[in-house]
Amino acid sequence: MPMLAATTPSLRHFPGMGGLLSLLVLTCLASLLVGAGPVSPRDAITVLVGGGSEEARFTVTALRLPRTLIGLVVGVSLGVSGALLQAITRNPLAEPGLLGVTAGSAFAVAVMLVLGASAATLRVPVAQLGALGGCLCVMNVVRLRGVGSDPVRLVLAGAALSSLLAALTSLILLMDQRAADEIRFWVVGSLSGRRLADLIPVIPSLLVAGLLTVTMARPLASLALGERVAKGLGHHPGLVRLSIILIVALLVGGATAIAGPVAFVGLVVPFAARAIAGPDIRRTLWFCLPLGPLMVLVADIVARIVVAPSELPLGVLTALCGAPVLVAVVRARRLPML
Amino acid sequence: MQRISNIMNVFCRCVSIGALMTLLISSAQARTLDTAFGDVEIEGEPQRVVTLYEGALDVAMTAGVTPVAAIMTRGGEGVARYLKDRVGDIAIVGTARETNIEAVVAQSPDVILASPRLSREQYALLADIAPTVVPRTEGFSPDAWKGEARLFGRALGHETEVDVAIEEIERRAEDLAESLQDNGQPLGAHLVRWMPQGPLVMSDQLFSTGLLAATGFDVDDGGLVPEGRPHSDPLSLENLAQVDNDWLFMATLNEDGDDALASARESKAFGRLSAVEQDRVVPVDGQLWTSASGPMAASAILDDIEANVLSSQ
Repeated sequence: MPMLAATTPSLRHFPGMGGLLSLLVLTCLASLLVGAGPVSPRDAITVLVGGGSEEARFTVTALRLPRTLIGLVVGVSLGVSGALLQAITRNPLAEPGLLGVTAGSAFAVAVMLVLGASAATLRVPVAQLGALGGCLCVMNVVRLRGVGSDPVRLVLAGAALSSLLAALTSLILLMDQRAADEIRFWVVGSLSGRRLADLIPVIPSLLVAGLLTVTMARPLASLALGERVAKGLGHHPGLVRLSIILIVALLVGGATAIAGPVAFVGLVVPFAARAIAGPDIRRTLWFCLPLGPLMVLVADIVARIVVAPSELPLGVLTALCGAPVLVAVVRARRLPML
Repeated sequence: MQRISNIMNVFCRCVSIGALMTLLISSAQARTLDTAFGDVEIEGEPQRVVTLYEGALDVAMTAGVTPVAAIMTRGGEGVARYLKDRVGDIAIVGTARETNIEAVVAQSPDVILASPRLSREQYALLADIAPTVVPRTEGFSPDAWKGEARLFGRALGHETEVDVAIEEIERRAEDLAESLQDNGQPLGAHLVRWMPQGPLVMSDQLFSTGLLAATGFDVDDGGLVPEGRPHSDPLSLENLAQVDNDWLFMATLNEDGDDALASARESKAFGRLSAVEQDRVVPVDGQLWTSASGPMAASAILDDIEANVLSSQ
């Protein structure tokens, strides 16, 4: 497997990766120990070493463990998809949540719910189809002269599409009272109340997306040098873009199907990854792997404790920490063209 | 006042023709109503009534006056399900939050019966169209509906029918409380709306929770509901033990409560509640239990309690 060998160098090629991984492990632990309920970190530790009351065991294993695992998957998916979308649009602001990919996914699920299909297995492909639709819209906008070359204008176009789709989602859910209780979830995502069973139908498509990413990383990196160089190296730019769009749709659709729309993770995570790893997309992608879950889990932990005994939706927290990053990126005079 | 209305009730129960005659005469007279925005003068029996409050629609139907227009119920398209058949076709002129003023004008109403939460600006607009009756109710209190019903009853010139209906409800609640007591079941209860992320705990100061209390239930919102709010924020699933009680009344906006119950059961945290384990979860219509008020709604809620709690052993 020369391809894999080339893209999987050892840890010493990634300064900072060891630190990030240990931070991620600590965050996962914190996610098991901290919650909105009466089970304290001390009780949770007792459970982890094999003891604890029945209630503590239930809270840790049936409530906190699933949302931690789901947070890991959602974080990886959204972080990686953000980095990929930014690479093919050559725009550091291209974020699935901002450009309407997430909104397209949530909209598709909402339409499905209204039409009466509620099977969890159907939800994943529908969400991914919706995300694909959103991606195709983005790529068409990128082709428009003037809009595509200006990062901020692309985001404005995306924000318009996003708001439109989110408004339509609210509208059809409001019209349909059966789905009324799920409205919040499909407008602002959350990890609360999700079960491990929700995660299983997503796994296969995420594995496919992962494999595709590994095979596409090198052509994508050569695409960054310009279309001619990429062609000269024997890659097909059109095919590469199409595969990346497919990967983004699989990842964003999968994440939205389990956690609802969660914005800004795909902006903040690649931003931080580039800051650590430099401009090479392959290194950026590796750093997105620990950074994505780190952001999602920290946001989720904060969401649990700030308004206890209630919880905030995860999407609210990620937006709170993502919006300032967006402003910072735009205000930085030299907006990097990717 | 009390004695007069008592005497009137005695007359009414005897179905004395003389009493009916006096009623007709007295109700035709002009009367001054004490409303949230000052005194309102109303004459005779208004024929074209517009209700901008679900509680007012209920009272109008109790009084035997079918309004010409009403507002949508919560999460529905027309009036609440429990009234739908009785009301029949009716013009919809808004929701609890928003009134379509032009649609109200188009109905050329004789009187407008509005919600105690109507804003002064809205009142000014409506009062230009027709005498507008707004009850003085501050915040939430379980018995506020009785005062509101009497005010609307006077506005419609059918005070007696409304008084009789309220007394009927009070008597029935007492009877039901006795039967439930005899039944010997524990009567702690919570009213919630279930959402996948966690339940909304309804205040113990609402119309429906007040009726639960009147039938002997010990309703408790566990201090989770902020003052003046109808319900809590969605409670974290980790804190579900706080709503664990003998009975769990689960209001759903879905037509089929069993569907909602089935989807709630998908949550492991829900299945651990002792009310669920003992099969003491009662799915109830959210339009009726969390949106409506008035004598007919009260009667329908008592029906629910009787059918679901009294019959179960």
